[in-house]
Amino acid sequence: MSSALRFEWVRLRTLRSTYWLSGIGVLITAGVAFIIAYATRNDPLDVDITAQVLTGGAEFATFIPVFMSIIGVFSTGHEYRHGTIQPTLTAIPQRSRLLLAKIVIVSLWSVLVVAVSLAVNLGLGLIFWGELPSFDNPLDEVIPGYFLLVVLYAICGLALAQLFRGVPSAIVVLLVTPLLVEGLISGLSLVPALDWLQPALKFLPFSAGGRLLATSPYEANGGPEFDPLSRWESGGVFAAFVALILAVAWYLFKKRDA
Amino acid sequence: MITAKGLHKRYGAKTAVDHLSFEVRPGMVTGFLGPNGAGKSTTMRLMLDLDNGGGETLFDGRRFGTIMHPMREIGAVLESKAFHPTRTARNHLRMLAAGSGIAYHRVDEVLEFVGLTEVKNKKPKNFSLGMAQRLGLAQALLGDPKTLILDEPANGLDPSGIHWLRTVLKSLADQGRTIFVSSHLLSEMALMADQLVVIGRGKMIYNGDVDGFVRDFTQSSVLVRSPQAAQLAELLRRVDGVTVDEVPEDRHAPGADPAAAPAPSPALRVSGIETAAVGELAFQNNVMLHELVTQTASLETAFITATGESEEYVAHDLGPAGSAPGSAPAPAHQAGPPAAPPVPPVQPGGPTAGGAA
Repeated sequence: MSSALRFEWVRLRTLRSTYWLSGIGVLITAGVAFIIAYATRNDPLDVDITAQVLTGGAEFATFIPVFMSIIGVFSTGHEYRHGTIQPTLTAIPQRSRLLLAKIVIVSLWSVLVVAVSLAVNLGLGLIFWGELPSFDNPLDEVIPGYFLLVVLYAICGLALAQLFRGVPSAIVVLLVTPLLVEGLISGLSLVPALDWLQPALKFLPFSAGGRLLATSPYEANGGPEFDPLSRWESGGVFAAFVALILAVAWYLFKKRDA
Repeated sequence: MITAKGLHKRYGAKTAVDHLSFEVRPGMVTGFLGPNGAGKSTTMRLMLDLDNGGGETLFDGRRFGTIMHPMREIGAVLESKAFHPTRTARNHLRMLAAGSGIAYHRVDEVLEFVGLTEVKNKKPKNFSLGMAQRLGLAQALLGDPKTLILDEPANGLDPSGIHWLRTVLKSLADQGRTIFVSSHLLSEMALMADQLVVIGRGKMIYNGDVDGFVRDFTQSSVLVRSPQAAQLAELLRRVDGVTVDEVPEDRHAPGADPAAAPAPSPALRVSGIETAAVGELAFQNNVMLHELVTQTASLETAFITATGESEEYVAHDLGPAGSAPGSAPAPAHQAGPPAAPPVPPVQPGGPTAGGAA
């Protein structure tokens, strides 16, 4: 297993896209954090502002989750796009070991990027706050939830690219599902004749994953009315979705020709 | 030693590899031949557990997937450009070295060996096919393996590169390594290979030494030139099993200046009789000979004869002069030496007849 981990670590480090995707993710969220911190500099510091600054507005704009998912897509998709799966498997023929190494390394990289982003955003917030914010509830759950959300996004990208054995299809699914498909289902549930869809909304995977960053109970505010699951139950829905894709991709990776 | 037993693979109703069994012995170069679509690459992929199929391949008694660090025992290159276009050649090899427990200094050694030191820190996206092949060979040699499996390694190499590759592979074989290499360059294979595995439509056609393959699939003939050719032909035709063909005048002395050189004696091509027997028959009948030589068929001739029936994708020759391609289809490959390749009509960017392997 250590050989597979070393292989994956060198593979990740020797791709320029790893650095620009991570760098742009940190930079954009830092920009969002700066804007929020600057705009609310005269407001009393509350948990909502703190969470939005620390995560760079990840509750409504999932920059780092999406960028890390693309790194996940590249980790498996590039193998097929550029034909490197052949030398890779002649170096590490144990396919489960290889896939597990990819999951571990991409997850660790995602954790590292989230940690750097949180530190940068905290530094930007402190410029205006002048003091450390309170990390009591719900921030003590939002921050671990943020780590979990990004790791799940990254594994989701990795699994989708392994499933489709390529980059473009995986990226399309990653972007279209949360932006269009889940939005469409939520929108349809507002039509009175289709309001029976509303109980199912809590099981929409990407929307459920977003609840990991929630700082307050769900409020409809003119949107669909339903009782969402708790933070960790919602995270479980997203994790189950990712696990399902990963299980199918893993099975097919073992079964199909390279 | 590579031992392949009952390798088979189907794609739906099509059998790509049909229960192939063969051995590749150390200390020699074993060539792997077959027409396009014969199943050479699929066989190699099956051997390396890249494809799921039936049968098993043992490398010194072990399956590929059970070897702890396969690259240190088996160097394989099946695709010429299997690298990320923006990862440098050096980093590509470092990545593989990291996964195989190979020291990084070995990366620079193999890059130096294949002549890519100057471009080791360049992105390989602009590498020519020849450079890509060299990087592939560096990848195969990275772990200093006892066994090499190479699919068309000479593709894209210039003549000096091909000469270099031949020398390298023969030297590695001389060191006792097991070399299994496929190629479409039959003249090159004739110079390089000691043993052959020849397949067609996934089935074994021949497994043995090169001379035996040429002998089994071609008939050697005797070229004899004499001022009394007609008399000699009459004598030879009386011998059972002997066939005699008159060689057309313009093929006697290729390249000779017809104005300066005297007309050569008429020539006969005789088959079904040893060269010495032709000489003895001429001597006993007082027939003067100007030339008596054994003509042995080439590996290419043997290959075309052996695989002609099992070609997956058959192109057609141009018809009679002036006729449109396809108007007079004829099999591209028939027994005997092939004619000069036809010149296709100019169609920039058009597809190549024959399909891909």
